Amino acid sequence: MENILTTTNISKSYGPVKALNNLNIEVPKGSIFGILGPNGSGKTTTLSILLDVLKPDTGTYSWFNNPNDIYYRKKIGTLLETPNFYHYLSAKDNLKITEAISGRGNEADIDKAIAMVGLHTRKHDKFSTYSLGMKQRLAIGAALLGNADVLVLDEPTNGLDPVGIVEIRNLIKQLGEQGKTIIMASHLLDEVEKVCTHFCILKHGNLLISGPVKEILRNEDILVIETENMAALQQILTTLPHFLELKQQKSFCEIYFKSNSISPAEFNAYCFNNGIVLSHLEIKTKSLEEKFFELTEN
Amino acid sequence: MKQLLRIEWLKIKHYAAFWWMLGIVLFTYPAINLLFQNIYQNITSRKDMAGNAAKFLLGNPFAFPDAWHSIAYFSSWFLLVPAILIIMLITNEYHYKTHRQNIIDGWTRNQFITAKLIDVVIIALMVTIVYTIVAAILGFYYSDAINTQRWSEELYFIPLFFLMTFAQLSIAFFIGYLIKKAFIALAVFFFYMLIVENLIKVYFAYKSIPLNAYLPFEISNRLIPRPNFLGKIDEAANKAYLDSLAAIQWHVIYTLIFTAIIWWICYRLFKKADI
Repeated sequence: MENILTTTNISKSYGPVKALNNLNIEVPKGSIFGILGPNGSGKTTTLSILLDVLKPDTGTYSWFNNPNDIYYRKKIGTLLETPNFYHYLSAKDNLKITEAISGRGNEADIDKAIAMVGLHTRKHDKFSTYSLGMKQRLAIGAALLGNADVLVLDEPTNGLDPVGIVEIRNLIKQLGEQGKTIIMASHLLDEVEKVCTHFCILKHGNLLISGPVKEILRNEDILVIETENMAALQQILTTLPHFLELKQQKSFCEIYFKSNSISPAEFNAYCFNNGIVLSHLEIKTKSLEEKFFELTEN
Repeated sequence: MKQLLRIEWLKIKHYAAFWWMLGIVLFTYPAINLLFQNIYQNITSRKDMAGNAAKFLLGNPFAFPDAWHSIAYFSSWFLLVPAILIIMLITNEYHYKTHRQNIIDGWTRNQFITAKLIDVVIIALMVTIVYTIVAAILGFYYSDAINTQRWSEELYFIPLFFLMTFAQLSIAFFIGYLIKKAFIALAVFFFYMLIVENLIKVYFAYKSIPLNAYLPFEISNRLIPRPNFLGKIDEAANKAYLDSLAAIQWHVIYTLIFTAIIWWICYRLFKKADI
């Protein structure tokens, strides 16, 4: 699949602090790509470098397969960190500047973008009179202006109320369905799991994992079972070729296998043939949250 | 270039401080010159010997062709007002973080600085236009028939006034650009312009260090030397005045070089900076 963005060994330090360490990611065209990580993991630093706000110490990146395009940012709708607008100008006048610099959209598109984020009744009011949530909405509106094919959204639901969060999530999903490529940094795991097709996890500037959500979250099969004959079960598990781990919980246990190595039916038959009766059997997919903590702890 | 100008206009046209500045310039330039004209009128209108002597010595600085020079000189003291605006225009960008947003939206680093350079040029032009109009009106008003015929003799003070204004507003921009915070930048600008540079001049004169002409503001101040008010009675003053006129051509070159260096540093720093 064609990549919209490729980074090669990007590193960045702030004095003694290594904010990014040899970052290599690829963002496929049409994906919704989540950049995850705890606070201070390098998410905003990554996006800032990719948008020429910060200069990397080493490494390169290429948007649209063209590393020499100095105007690439005009083609990307961006919300980076906080909404940055002229406080003394109205929403409409601010977006006129966005439109004039980026060349994306026209007068009618400005009204459309403002309406999409629900600010049409306040579009002539000064930005300084807006609440935090309204400022964030305007920033999203600016990113949507002119229907850019690529969007970069840094914590897009910051400062929004619960209704606003759902609205923006749905909007992002819709845009993804329209074939847009969306790169989204977030520390809200739930948000990424609900919206993204691909993601990566950063910690202390290091890339821990990167790839499609489905593959990363399903590279292990987990069976949740209950049986009265636990000792026998433990014995036969070790003879199974793709068995990884057994986690004993209060009334049940979780058995980890390599991905796609055994089906619940096969496992049930195997237990039964060895004289073990299962009173409960369920297949479980690892949640992003579990994966995240598994990778970022330690 | 036209596009950059359009975008800067979008930023400025609803900025109240810009219109206040323009209003204050439109008010102060005629006002300060009328004030000096009034003082001159009071001295020279006396019917006694002193009045006649003053009239003989001073000539008429508000008649052509001297009007271009005197009014440029008096007006140059009031560059503080447009300098405040220039500092506000650049520090606002930092304060609102719109300098980042302009880059994120697609400007190159060079385009951002070029847009600011255009701001400084345009504000210098506007101030020059106000000066030109004030000088023309006062000049024609206070000239007799002979002076009126000489109206075009010292027109070169118009480009000199523009260059001086542009150079000193560039210093204001530079200070705002480096310091980033509006009030600190304004304080540093005023403190340096009004106090520090004058102290250095006194120190250099005291120590006989011949570098006074090359201080940041003095380089361009000397584009518009003090008019020769007392040249007719003081031979030394007259010689100093003629020397200062002869030095203008050199100060044009020094000012151009100094201002080019300021902008080169701005371009260079912004190109490499994390913003």
